[in-house]
Amino acid sequence: MMARLYRGGFDALAWALYGFMLAPLVCVVLVSFNADAVQSFPPRALSLHWYWHALNEPSFVSGAVTSAVLALCATALATPAGVAAALALHRSRWRGKAALELLLLAPLVVPGLVIGIALLVTLAGMDVREAPLRLLIGHVLIVLPYVVRTTLASLARLDPALTEAAETLGANRLAAFLQVILPLIRPGVVAGMLFGFILSFDDVSVSLFLVDARTVTLPLAIMSYLQYNFDPSIAAISSMLIGLTILVVVVVERRLGMKQLFTG
Amino acid sequence: MTKAAISALDGRFASRLGPVRSGRQGVSGASSLLLLPAVLVVCFCLLVPLAYVVVLSFNPPVTGEVELTNELTLVNYARLFLQPFYSAILLRTISVSAITTFLCVGFGLVLALSIWRAPPRQRGLRVIIVISPLLVSIVTRTYGWMVVLGDNGILNTLLRAMGLIDEPLHMMFTQGAVIVGLVHVFLPMMVLSILAAMDKIDPALAQAAETLGASSFVAFWKITFPLLIPGLTAGVTIVFSLAMSSYVTPALMGGRNAGMLTTLIYQQFVVTYNWHFGAALVVVLLTTSLIALALVLLESGRRTRAWLVKP
Repeated sequence: MMARLYRGGFDALAWALYGFMLAPLVCVVLVSFNADAVQSFPPRALSLHWYWHALNEPSFVSGAVTSAVLALCATALATPAGVAAALALHRSRWRGKAALELLLLAPLVVPGLVIGIALLVTLAGMDVREAPLRLLIGHVLIVLPYVVRTTLASLARLDPALTEAAETLGANRLAAFLQVILPLIRPGVVAGMLFGFILSFDDVSVSLFLVDARTVTLPLAIMSYLQYNFDPSIAAISSMLIGLTILVVVVVERRLGMKQLFTG
Repeated sequence: MTKAAISALDGRFASRLGPVRSGRQGVSGASSLLLLPAVLVVCFCLLVPLAYVVVLSFNPPVTGEVELTNELTLVNYARLFLQPFYSAILLRTISVSAITTFLCVGFGLVLALSIWRAPPRQRGLRVIIVISPLLVSIVTRTYGWMVVLGDNGILNTLLRAMGLIDEPLHMMFTQGAVIVGLVHVFLPMMVLSILAAMDKIDPALAQAAETLGASSFVAFWKITFPLLIPGLTAGVTIVFSLAMSSYVTPALMGGRNAGMLTTLIYQQFVVTYNWHFGAALVVVLLTTSLIALALVLLESGRRTRAWLVKP
């Protein structure tokens, strides 16, 4: 009797918590289709009006372009550096290795806000005040540790005999890397790149102190819009981002498996 | 002073690279060349700027001044710890983070257990529901809570429609709203940490206890829970330090009297331009996170090794 009660209570609490996790995202999507400017629930009429409104809001459009270009450039710069470093770390057996690994993963440990401020202050001290440059530096730091981590994880699963075989058969280091190792670790590298890209695109805390009036990323554009307006166009742009993320996740899951991202 | 800081870091950097060149097992020059770009990026774009902020926090406060000077002082820290207005914010930040962490532990255990016990086919779906907030921008998540908790929000509308209340409840812009938002943001991390620990537990252990007559509650409390301690330790420290340094949720969901350390930091850097005091606040925030990290490293070596991805 007690056991059944305990189980029942436990299940009820668990389902309430699943609801809690989903509630805000589901509500955002529901509100985005609401025709009224004032929130009403359930919606009286459905419309795509707010999607149109969001796509015509200049700060969202320029923010989306800025964020996309920034995330692309940061991923493009961080990936070769991260893969190269992971490769060297994987191969080496010397004692300082753990310290270097820790160093390369350090950007994960330092709060984003602190990274942003440190860059702002240091670059201002050097009289560098260009927002695009300091944003790029900050976002490379966001992407780099994820590429290092997922590449290291894929390398760890690699059979070392494969490289040796390639080299025995006459391939030099570069050829062995390009023709044998790279195709095998590609899923891990791509998973790290995608995760890094999403985190860079969604980032608020690093960018918060690095943007200026002319260069604003999408999440910060949404945030400043939110401080003065509360119409459902925020819900519409948010729903589009949710849809985009689901798309990326489905692709990653189909092609690589989500486990790549969380079990580094 | 900057140069001193840079050369100090260079020194540490060189001592780290030392073994590369002279180590007995040795690494080829090509390997250290491969490491160079990433290591340089982290050193010059993260470690040097952090050192700069630390030095700045010990310089006397001059509004608008960003160059480092040789004058060292504790004025900025004294202001934070001795003025009641600021120390109250510090205490509030710590207590909000502690409450958030406490709730995450309780809810995280329930969710992780529910995922663990679920039939294999449902497991994936449950995991995706729990981590779904991680995949959306924090601004979107926070806006979602504003839609749910607002005066004309969904929760108030539902409660009114059911006739439970006449006047809307004021839930937004309170301490409670901040905690709800933070728990939602960080619960996935807690669940993932606990699940990582659960994966290493043999389910037969709890079953054996139940066969031998323990109720499922006792079996959980006496058998499963102690084995979860490493995962919980990691989760607690991760959630606590992330909650301390969260900005968006308190800024958007907190009212005028719910300011946290991060919103105060934002004020110093963007509104009042008192960068020296701001730098001191950043150092306090960073120290707290690093102490939390040190706890992870010391308390659960097993998980740390997995996290560092050793071959």
